[in-house]
Parts: sequence; C-alpha cells; structure tokens
Amino acid sequence: MIVTINDREINVTKPSTILEVAKENGIHIPHFCHHPILEQWGGCRMCLVEVEKMPRLQTACTLYVTDGMKIRTESEAISKARRAVLEFILINHPLDCPVCDKAGECKLQDYVMKYGSPISRFKEKKLKHPEHTEDPLIVRNIERCIKCTRCVRMCSGVQGASAITMSLRGNHTLMEPFSGGIYECEYCGNCLTVCPVGAIMSKLHRYKYRQWQVTKEVKTTCSYCGVGCTMLLKVRENTIMRTEPKIGLGVNKGLLCSRGRFGYEYVGSKERLTTPLVRKNGALTPVSWQEALDMVATRLKEISKTSIAGIAGARCTNEENYVFQKFIRALGSNNIDSIARMGIAGGLKIIESLIGRGVTSNPISDISGSSVVITLGGDPTSINPVLGLQIRGAYRSGGKVIVLGDAPGLRRFTTINLPIRPYTESAVISEIVKVIGDTNPSILEKIDWFKPLEVESIEEYTDIKKETIKEVAEFIANAPSIAIVVGRDALQRAESVVAISALSKISMAKVYLMSERPNEIGLIDMGCLPDTLPGGVPLESGKDLSTIWGFEPPKSRGLTLMEIISQIDEGSIEALYVMGENPVFNLPNSKFIKNALGRLKLLIVQDIFMTETAEMADIVLPALSWAEKDGTYTNLEGRIQRLKKAVKTENCKEDWLIIKEISARLGINMPYSSASDIFEEIKRVSPLHRNLSSEAIEKGKALWPYGAKVKEPELLSIEMKPASNTTQGISLLVERPLFHSGTLSRKSPALRSIYPEAIAKVSPSTGQALGLKNGDMVKIGTKNGSLSLKVKIDKSVRSNILYISNNFEGKGAYGLFEYIIEPITKAPLIVQSELSIQKE
Amino acid sequence: MSYLLRNIDNPNSIDITEYEKIGGYKNLRKALEMEPISIIEEVKKSGLRGRGGAGFPTGMKWTFANADPKFPKYLICNADEGEPGTFKDRPILERNPHLLIEGMAISGHALRAEYGYIYLRGEYPYAKRVLDGAIKQAYEKGYLGDNILGKGIRFHLSVHQGAGAYICGEETALIESLEGKRGQPRIKPPFPVNVGAFSMPTIVNNVETLSNIPYIIEIGSEAYSKIGSPDCPGPKLYSVSGHVERPGVYELPMGTTLRDIIYTHAGGIRGGRQLKAVIPGGISTPVLPPSQIDCPMDFVSMPKHGSMLGSGAVMVFDESTCLVKVCLRALRFFEHESCGKCTPCREGTGWLRLILQRIENGFGEPDDLDSLLDIAQNIAGKTFCPLGDGAASVVMNFIKHFKDEFQSHITQKGCQVRT
Repeated sequence: MIVTINDREINVTKPSTILEVAKENGIHIPHFCHHPILEQWGGCRMCLVEVEKMPRLQTACTLYVTDGMKIRTESEAISKARRAVLEFILINHPLDCPVCDKAGECKLQDYVMKYGSPISRFKEKKLKHPEHTEDPLIVRNIERCIKCTRCVRMCSGVQGASAITMSLRGNHTLMEPFSGGIYECEYCGNCLTVCPVGAIMSKLHRYKYRQWQVTKEVKTTCSYCGVGCTMLLKVRENTIMRTEPKIGLGVNKGLLCSRGRFGYEYVGSKERLTTPLVRKNGALTPVSWQEALDMVATRLKEISKTSIAGIAGARCTNEENYVFQKFIRALGSNNIDSIARMGIAGGLKIIESLIGRGVTSNPISDISGSSVVITLGGDPTSINPVLGLQIRGAYRSGGKVIVLGDAPGLRRFTTINLPIRPYTESAVISEIVKVIGDTNPSILEKIDWFKPLEVESIEEYTDIKKETIKEVAEFIANAPSIAIVVGRDALQRAESVVAISALSKISMAKVYLMSERPNEIGLIDMGCLPDTLPGGVPLESGKDLSTIWGFEPPKSRGLTLMEIISQIDEGSIEALYVMGENPVFNLPNSKFIKNALGRLKLLIVQDIFMTETAEMADIVLPALSWAEKDGTYTNLEGRIQRLKKAVKTENCKEDWLIIKEISARLGINMPYSSASDIFEEIKRVSPLHRNLSSEAIEKGKALWPYGAKVKEPELLSIEMKPASNTTQGISLLVERPLFHSGTLSRKSPALRSIYPEAIAKVSPSTGQALGLKNGDMVKIGTKNGSLSLKVKIDKSVRSNILYISNNFEGKGAYGLFEYIIEPITKAPLIVQSELSIQKE
Repeated sequence: MSYLLRNIDNPNSIDITEYEKIGGYKNLRKALEMEPISIIEEVKKSGLRGRGGAGFPTGMKWTFANADPKFPKYLICNADEGEPGTFKDRPILERNPHLLIEGMAISGHALRAEYGYIYLRGEYPYAKRVLDGAIKQAYEKGYLGDNILGKGIRFHLSVHQGAGAYICGEETALIESLEGKRGQPRIKPPFPVNVGAFSMPTIVNNVETLSNIPYIIEIGSEAYSKIGSPDCPGPKLYSVSGHVERPGVYELPMGTTLRDIIYTHAGGIRGGRQLKAVIPGGISTPVLPPSQIDCPMDFVSMPKHGSMLGSGAVMVFDESTCLVKVCLRALRFFEHESCGKCTPCREGTGWLRLILQRIENGFGEPDDLDSLLDIAQNIAGKTFCPLGDGAASVVMNFIKHFKDEFQSHITQKGCQVRT
C-alpha cells in the first residue's frame, strides 16, 4: 500500500503504525511511551500527527497506516500540541537537571530543548514526592516520572516478573513495586533501560558520571552465562561506569539479567590479583613476571610429560583455551578437560552421536515461538535468565510449558509441572517416548538405538502419575514445534541424555543445553577435551597437525576432569595447570579435592582472584578479566561472539599471553601477537572454523557449523539404567540462584547487596517439620562436613527438598557431597550421605 | 405513559412475582421463539440508540458483534453510573431489576452470548443486594441458566462491583476493571465488539438501553420507532437535579424540550427564582444559558444548540449560584477521576483546577482566563479518551457563556454572586 507522509509517497509492505513507517523512512516523530519491544500504550500524546480526513490529531504510535493515508508530521497544530504535552509534563516535573543522572541522555530534556516553550506559565505549586532510595540498587524518583509506564510494561509484558505497577490515579499516579519500598524482583534492571527520564536509576553509578563523560563505549559479550548477551560497556577513564544492552542488539535483543547488568564491578575490585605469586617457605610471595614464568618453566621440566594435566577455563576466550590445549598437548599428554565435564561435555557427545552433530545449535529466539517447551535439569530463568524469558514468551503466546522438577522462575508460566523425584528425569522422558511410540509405532524406527528405561513402577519411582505423563505425551505428539531445554542435572546422566535424544528425534524437538558459563561450548570446540582435537576432530582420526603446530598431538586419550583428580590422588599426576577455574570450590567433595591437590608436586593457577584453588598453588599468575581483553566466546547456541578490551589492569596479562611466554621458555612455538593471530591459526587447524570470517563474528552471525561440512560421529551404544543416587527422605540439592554465579558474582558488591549470604531454602511444610523458621540458623551436615546457613522458607520449593547454593566463600554447597563418576559422561554425580539437619 | 419506571411505586417491585404480574418475562418467552438474527434486526429497525451518553445505534453495535465469528461472546451491562448529575439507572437497578435482567436475557439470546455481567458502580451497594436477589430468583424460575425455559438456550448473569472509578464507565476501562486490571481505557481499534473482555467479542450496553429491549420485543420495532424524536426514538429517562421544585427521574418521550422538563415536569425553579444556567446531560456536556432551553432533548437536536444529550442528566442552577464555583467543583471531579494514562488529562485537569481555585479564592490574575482557555484547548481533542474532553469542555463553555462572572471574580477579588 502507498501512504503519504509529508508529501512523500512511501510503499508499505507489512502492517505498520505511522510511527514505524516514519522511523523506517527517517522521519522523526517525537514520543515517550512508545517503545519497539513493548506493548502499545498511546498515553504520552507526544506523537500526535495529522491524518487527512480524521478530525482530531492522531497518535502515530497506535494508528496503523492504510492505503492512501495522507499524514503530516509537522504543522502549526502539531507544534502546539507537542509544546502543550511538554508543558503539561513539566508542570509537576522538578527542574533538577543539574543534579539528575539522566541529564544528557534524557528524552524529556532533549524534547523540551527541541519542541518546548522557553517560558513557563505555571504559577501554582508543584506536586512533591520524596525520592525512594531504600532499595540497594534502584533509586526511584517519582517527581521526575512522566508516567509513560514503559517500566511497568517491560516488567510485566517482557520480563514477566510483574514486580512493579502504577498505583494511585491522575496526577498522583506513581510507579512502585508491589513489595513497597524495596524491590522483591528479579533485578533485571530492564526498567532502567526503558525509562526515558531520570525516574528509575541505578545506584551503582549514581552521581558518578554523566553520559557525555563516557570516554569509550565498547560493544562486548557478557561474562556470566552461556547465553552470551551483547552489551555495551560505558567506560570513563579506566572504569566501567555501567553495562547497558541495546534494543535489538544481540541474542538478548536489548534485555539483560541481574548478573549482566549489576555484576560488572568485580572487574575493578580491589581484591584482584595484580602480581605473580610464588610459594616461598610455605607462603605465596609476590615476585616479578620474569621470576614467576622462569619458575613455571623450570618446574614443569622437572615433571615427566605424562604426569602433567590441565584444566581449561570456561570463562576464558576461545583463543585462550585453544592456546591452552595446544600447550598441554605440547607438554606431552591429552590430559586436558574443564568444568564443562560437569554436564555439557559428556551430554553433548552423546546427543551428537545419537541424533547428529550440532543438533543443539539452535537460535534461542526460536523458543518463544515453540508450541511446547519442556525444561528439565534446572531453572532456565536463573541459570540462563535471558533464555528463560523466551520460555515465558512461549507461554504467553499460547505455548505449553512443561517443567520437570523445580523451576520457580517459571511458576506462573507452567502448563504442567512434573514434580519428579530428584534424578529421575530419564524415566519420565523415557516413558513419554514409550507412550508416543505406543500410539505411533512406526515412529520408533527412527530410534532403533533406544530401549526404554525399565523400572518396576514408574509412578513409585518418579512420583509422577501415568495419566500426567500421558497428557504430556499427547501435547508433544500434537505439537508442530517443540523445544527441550536441558540443564546440567539432566545432562550429567547418560540415560537421561539418551532419553532426551530419543524424544527429540521422534518429535523433531530442538534441544537447548543450558550453560552456566560463558564459554562452555567454546571449550569443547577448541579441543579442551581428552579425546578430541580442535573443531571436534576425534583424537583417533590421527590428524596430522605437525605442519601447523610443529609437533604431533599425543596419540593416547587423556584423562577427564574427575579422572585427573583421581590420578592426582593416586600420585600418577604430579603437576596440574589450572587456567581460570576453581576446582576446589566448584567440584563436589571439596575436602577430597583439596586433599588430592595437596599431593601435587606442582600446582599452577592463572586467575583474576585469589580463589580457594589459587591459595593452594605453588605459582599464581594474575590474568586479565573479561573486560580487559579481546577474543571470542561461543555461546550455548554455538554462536561465536566478540569480546573487546574496554579497560586495563596494570601488571596482569591475557591468559594466552602468559601461556605464550611460558611456551617460549619451553621451546614451544606460539607465534601470536594478538587474539586475532590465534584465531587465524584456529581456522587452519579446525575444520569447523575454516570458513569463518571476522565480519560474521562481528555481526553476531557466526552460527554453528560456520559454513563447514561436518563429519557425523560414531553411534554410541548406551544401556539405560535407573539413576543410582536417588534419595529417600529429604534431598539436598544445589540451587543456582539468579543473582549469583560463584567466583565472579561474589566479588560484585551490587549482587551481594541483593543476595548477601548463603542460605538454605526449604518449603513451609518441610520447614515446619524440621522446626525451622525464616531467619533461623541451621546446621546441615553430611559425612563430609557441615555448613551453618540462614534458613529461608520459600513457597516455591517442594516439600522434602533442601536447596543450598554454591556461591559464597566457605559456604560452598559442593563441599557437603560425595560423588561418583558417571561411567559414560564421566560427570561427577553428587551423592548425598547421611544428612543431618539441626537448628542452631 | 411509562415503561421503564412502571412498577417502581409498588413496594414489592423487586420481587419476581410482582414483575410477572405486570407481564414481566413474557417478552423473554416471545424472544426465545425468535431467531437471534431477527431480534437484532428488530432492534436495528427500532432505531434505539445507546442511552449511556454517546448515542451509538444499538442495532449497529449488535450487528458488528454478531459478525465476529469468535466465541464465547460476552454481554456487559454498564451500570457504572458515575457521571455527576446522573441517577437515571438507579431506579431500574434498585426498583425494577427484573426489567434489566429480562432485557439482558433477551439480548444474550440475540447475540448468542452465554455470559453476562452487570458492572455495577461501587457506590450502589443497595442495588448490588437487589440485583443479586433478583438474579437468584430469575435462576430459580428458569429465566437464567443453562437451559432457559427449557429452550436449550444458555445465559448466565452475575454482578461485578466497581471500586469507585468514574473512568470505569468508559467501556474499555470497564472491561479492564472487570478483568481485574487497573481501570484505564484501551487503545481502539480493536473495539470491544471484536476484542473485548478476555479478548473475546463483547457488547457493552447501558442499563437503560438494555431495559428498552423487552419493550421493543413487546410492541415491535415499528411502534417503538414512533415514540418521541424520529431520529432517536423511544422512552428516555431524564434525571433532574439542582434548583427545581421537584428533582427526580422522569420517563418522557425522547425529544421532550428542556423547558418542558424543567418547568412542566420538575415544577420549575425553586422559590420562583430565575434560571441562570443548565447542564443538560451530565457534567461533561456543555452548559447552556437560559436562552437555549427550548431545544428538544435528544441526540440529534442538542448538538445544534451547542450541547449534547449525554446521559440526560439535567442539572439546574438558579440565579444564586456562583458558576465559577460550579466550574471549580466540576474540575475537582475531573482531576480526581482522571485515570492518569494520558498526559493532557492527567496534568491538565489539575492545572485547570488550581487556576480556578485561585480565581474563586480571589487571587485571580488578568491573564488567567486566557490561560484557562488555552490549557483547555490543549486538552480538548488530544486526550486518550473523552474524559479529558469533558473537563476541557466544562471550562470552555462556562467561560464562553459566563465570561463576565469569571472576569468579575478576578477584578473584584472574589465572588460577588453569593454576597
């Protein structure tokens, strides 16, 4: 259809509002309440335009164009209407721009300068309202609020938290949280993004800078989880003033979660390591880089080559992990693995072997359009919050959301909840496959490798009624598009991964693997695995890399993460090199791990903080954080995204540079002077990355398999067995809270201010049975030790489950568990022994 | 002649047997024998126009809703009678509830709506009790329910109480409120006939409108269309308040002149005083000077005389009234009732009130009248819903007709009328 705006004819092909058409054609129409990702509102009246044959001025943001429509965006009447709206807004708006954080990037300020009247006719008293500063992170200034309700629409319509509302009426209307002064919300801060004025502000940079003092704006990828949200770092001098998403940009399309938005302060933490440390007379002592690196080289030479192992870093870049695995292989073994072994590394290998390589590389944005979403093995809204929003979106647009286990963040967005007994996902999924197969036997031909899990009574074993499973199966059988979102707890177990693969194959469901770290997939693609070279090339293929590397990778398979620990304990591994990881804290049975590491002849740790592992090291090397280096991360979709240097910390080095300098001392060739040099070599080594261009990465279009043809892996044959570590009575489970991730988040004052200490969460009924009230201290003990934690009675927790988290110093949940190594995925399965719970 | 208000002097009028005695629910029996579409046609031919204030042809609204293929459809009775001066629905709600219920049951059948709601203003607690009782009786007698009078037709009815917001009389705000949300108007289009309550086609009609339906069924569209004004026929309830001898609700043929209403029916101005001003259709309609009272009170004639029929709430002011104060009182109402959604109404009503307050208090300044008019113009036609237009029109029309009184407040530093 043809519409005319200001005498210009425009061809419009899809249903659009006047404002959208104008924007696309470079015609500016001022507006406050309209926002492209929010529901229409039409309240501010700033976008009034003239439409021929319509008697009144019309709001451009709500009126859809029709064929032949003639529109004017500038006229005497429109100017007067704009001037009037601005005058109305200003009568109760304080003229406090000089002390307002928003000055310089305030829509109201800009529009008043452009369209407003230079004088005020208002002779009466303004309405006053005190500023709300009681919340630890968010300041609310009602006087500056223009009641556009963007924040409320963001909170309820997009984020789905529904934590804030407009209350009262007329000119007394004000935005406030339902909880009163302090927010009880997800602290995503997305209300901050959309507030056009200084009504909602972050305390983190309050009074510290103005927009025009930003010296650098750096587009980068978030360092917290595997979603890989794109964000802008606003830098003043050498300090990150804030992180900010940009509407439409990245997989997050302008949204962030609490960790991404408020968790950046660790970069500038005073606790950062800033000098190499070497253990002298039992104590870690500051030394020069020269001395430390010389020492690393000398000490490594003393260890026999098969007795060295490396743990790569899920927070390090692809480039760094590539260099690291090359380094460990150059030293003489394939003993390299990472924290991805806790779930993704083993799980992904099985899925890919059964249903094809790259099947988990699906765009996150597809989830919201799915007609059925199944989640298991963790709460997506806290592990990968922005992915979780997609699930909420699917529910809102009529999709069925099926939750196995607990997902408190999806409570209001769940069609069917299956409150399964912990660790019995495999039986439930297997049963679903069986039910679908019963009605449609031919479908089972696709999965001849699958034998349903046999348990005596599915209802007794899983706590789920057969009819419920049947209902779920029917949803799936009839759904045109399905997404399965799998967390670590389900990925650890071979049998549940097999069941998920079978379900995915017969229902053509897209599988998404939740990833707790920003670069877990990168670790796998870069070959930080004991059996795989970069690009997913199996070690057995005998690929010759000597022309590029200058040496042949060792032939025999290396040890997996937990095997490395066992072999250290048994004395056959004598040296461990840890890059950006904290195994003492992040692996189960810390007491055992600590003991084992104590037996090492040499422990080298590269990190940005003095971690529990670094404290045990012989040599500690200070590395640069995520905001201080260039490189790439691969997110859970398999999308490679850029990291860019924004600030610097003196005397710290990129992880790859440290390895390079050690290599030079050991005669290993690492010919790089930048991250991009390394990426060039990755492209030569990895068949997967061969065709990748840096433009594709820059644009966020570098999606797996990056234009490469991939070889399908061999089919694994896996026997279905019921999980061995199910529990009776109260189950102790590890919670992954929204506000924390562990090592980094605990050094972020903002995140600590909203979630300051480790807690134990129980349901009201279990709390009552144990005689526990909110705020009580409870001592939770197992054979391995005990933790004293504050109790939180939480309605979202099921009875007989006790949640503890693994984020705070000295209060790590993993310390309480023992583990067994899963025979196929080699993941450590936590085992709960003789639980004792005592009120203190 | 009285239809809507017949029976109200019977002390037991709310009892269903009393209503049945005067022929109640026989029109429902008759309507159930009719095809839904032919009832809609009858209503269309009758020329009935909505009695809530805007005067939209009811038959047309029904046709739009009927054309939408989505089900379920909802029928909502707008009983949020909040316009100052308006109390015409109250006698029906409190004294003749079965007329409304019968009207809704017929309309439900016509519109193939199986659920009806009466959105009742929160300040009518007595009406709530009456309606609840009447609905219970209607269920017992089989006039409501899953199988009305054994005809296999389903219509359920319940009362939803508002919480005291004027804006919830606006149909989309009413629907928001009914859904349990904050009472604020929605963007139109889509109109409620297509996307209304719970996103389904929804017909919102006024109490008086729905109470006219049994009458149309009873006497037929042709006879009905001959009552009162030819362009908008039917009986009309006029609620007369203010300085008249006999304030009250009068059922008169549509198009009765304002003079007749005031002087013939309401007994003239109290104490033999002179008429100073009259608001003909509720506070939002433009005030008229005495020179205009010969106009017929219907939807078509009133605009020709510079006002609107609105809800037919006639507010009469005699010579002892300070019109600045009336204007101020009206603006205080609009400021209080502005929902806060759109800028001009939210901020403008309060600003207008502040200036009027200052003038009334004797602190008016020479440029205040210009400011009032300019602010009112900045509101008029630029707000999200007609609430703001109403506020602006009050100010503009009071100043238009009674500028001298405003001027004298400013020059004499206060009110001269009452001293």
